[in-house]
Amino acid sequence: MNPAAAAIRVELLKARRSRLPWVTAAAFTVAGAFGGLIMFILQNLRRARSLGLLGTKASLTGGTADWPAYFALLAQTAAAGGALLFGLVVVWLFGREFSQDTVKDLLALPTARTTIVGAKFAVATAWSLLLSCYLFVLGLLIGTVIGLPGWSAEVAFHGLAVLLITTALTVLLVTPFALAASAGRGYLAGVAAMIAAVFSAQVVALLGYGQYFPWSVPALYTQLAGPDRDPPGALGFTLVALVGVAGIAATAAWWRHADHDR
Amino acid sequence: MTGIQAIDATGLTKRYGEVAAVDQLTLTVAPGEIYALLGLNGAGKTTTIRMLLGMVRPTSGRVSLLGTRVGPGAHAMWSRVGYLVETPTAYPDLTVTENLRVAARLRGLSGGEPVSDVITRLNLGTYAHHRARTLSLGNAQRLGLAKALIHRPDLLVLDEPANGLDPAGVAEIRALLGELARDGVAVLLSSHILTEVARLATRIGVLDQGKLVWEGDTTDLVAQARPRLSVLARDRDAAAAALRAAGHPVSLNGDDGLELEDKRAIGRPDEIATLLVTAGCLPSRLAVEQDDLETCFLRLVSTS
Repeated sequence: MNPAAAAIRVELLKARRSRLPWVTAAAFTVAGAFGGLIMFILQNLRRARSLGLLGTKASLTGGTADWPAYFALLAQTAAAGGALLFGLVVVWLFGREFSQDTVKDLLALPTARTTIVGAKFAVATAWSLLLSCYLFVLGLLIGTVIGLPGWSAEVAFHGLAVLLITTALTVLLVTPFALAASAGRGYLAGVAAMIAAVFSAQVVALLGYGQYFPWSVPALYTQLAGPDRDPPGALGFTLVALVGVAGIAATAAWWRHADHDR
Repeated sequence: MTGIQAIDATGLTKRYGEVAAVDQLTLTVAPGEIYALLGLNGAGKTTTIRMLLGMVRPTSGRVSLLGTRVGPGAHAMWSRVGYLVETPTAYPDLTVTENLRVAARLRGLSGGEPVSDVITRLNLGTYAHHRARTLSLGNAQRLGLAKALIHRPDLLVLDEPANGLDPAGVAEIRALLGELARDGVAVLLSSHILTEVARLATRIGVLDQGKLVWEGDTTDLVAQARPRLSVLARDRDAAAAALRAAGHPVSLNGDDGLELEDKRAIGRPDEIATLLVTAGCLPSRLAVEQDDLETCFLRLVSTS
């Protein structure tokens, strides 16, 4: 078996044996179900009030309850929740090796360190895409159950495409968290970097400079920051790609050249 | 592999700011040799091992393992090197077998045979399907050794290999390492269990403050042991005065006794006994003693 395939199998085995796949799937289940609940409430405000899902004096305006709106909500879930969940996956894949001190068993092997880093990113990408596909399937089920109007294959295909593009953007943006988890030798630095990026993305997007700040780009793309905000444009997408490539390259370089003295 | 050293390190130095963790270390280990690195905590043993394994980059100096220079990008020789650094670690959610499967795959081995072989060799059969998090320290150490041995390496680098093992386990590992060395495997180990090192190592290096302060075989280390005549007398001060008056250098020890290290006294303890009796200081004990291995080691370290 070639070293890259072997390293990917190893990472898959470690991921399969952990609880994190279930935790991330559960988080996306809750997010998908919450989106369905919002659609249900928007669809029938009076019924929602009678079921106690909405306060009697509360009102929801400006939203529509149909398939395009639900798919847009799912993409926004991937943009906002993805930065945290996909980030968590990356931080866990890299940070655990340092927290559990297993990294030293990965440093003097015929399988190059950069191959191991590549395998971790490959598993993180596949994991994130699977989660998004799961969210889409869950959305289809929930939308069907609550009887959303406006279905067509074209709408569904567009919804899936936006969701997958959002996932790809988010996955590129979480790669620097791997470097933080590695250089910080554990989960803490990775989680701190993730929180800082998510927080900054909100602030910068609100200030109107989101297209210049890569971590705001998925929110702008999915109109999470509001329909009045400009779409990210070529510059925004280029910056996201640069962050992704830089995150992977810097993590690989760190694993290869840093002093592993702890 | 004739003529090629398993380990060939020259002028190896690692500095952290002004502090030299390892200073100009030069050592070679030949195939079939068991080389033990001895040193107190912080002497530089683990930093040395990490530099040998390419985990830490030397500030200066070079290392070659099995004829290949260690450095970024050189990883072909790792298929012939097994190692265990500091405390053994394993993926806690994976079973013993799965942990070994991970090690086998990353070393390019396929099939279940290497895994089952090493499980048998390290007596891990009972725990093969136990999760690593449930293992005792001794069994975790066995798992660490199994990962180091799974690919039948030509060079083994082991940091405290007997750590956590019970006496039977220690004897078992000693026998295993001896057997490997007879098969031509070079072993470099660090240890603080001097008796184990004495039984196992063909060569010993003593590290102190990053420097190799002494190197030799066990016999050489024991030869460092200084003989002395130990004397217990009721009136220690009077006995010491009498001996000094007779020209013997005397030192007082912590057990209310006296020690004489001059050859004349050690060669003729009967004369010392007569001298003390004549001076009216009857000795209650008089014996020629020798430093044990530990004392020899501590003296080497303290005088370096």
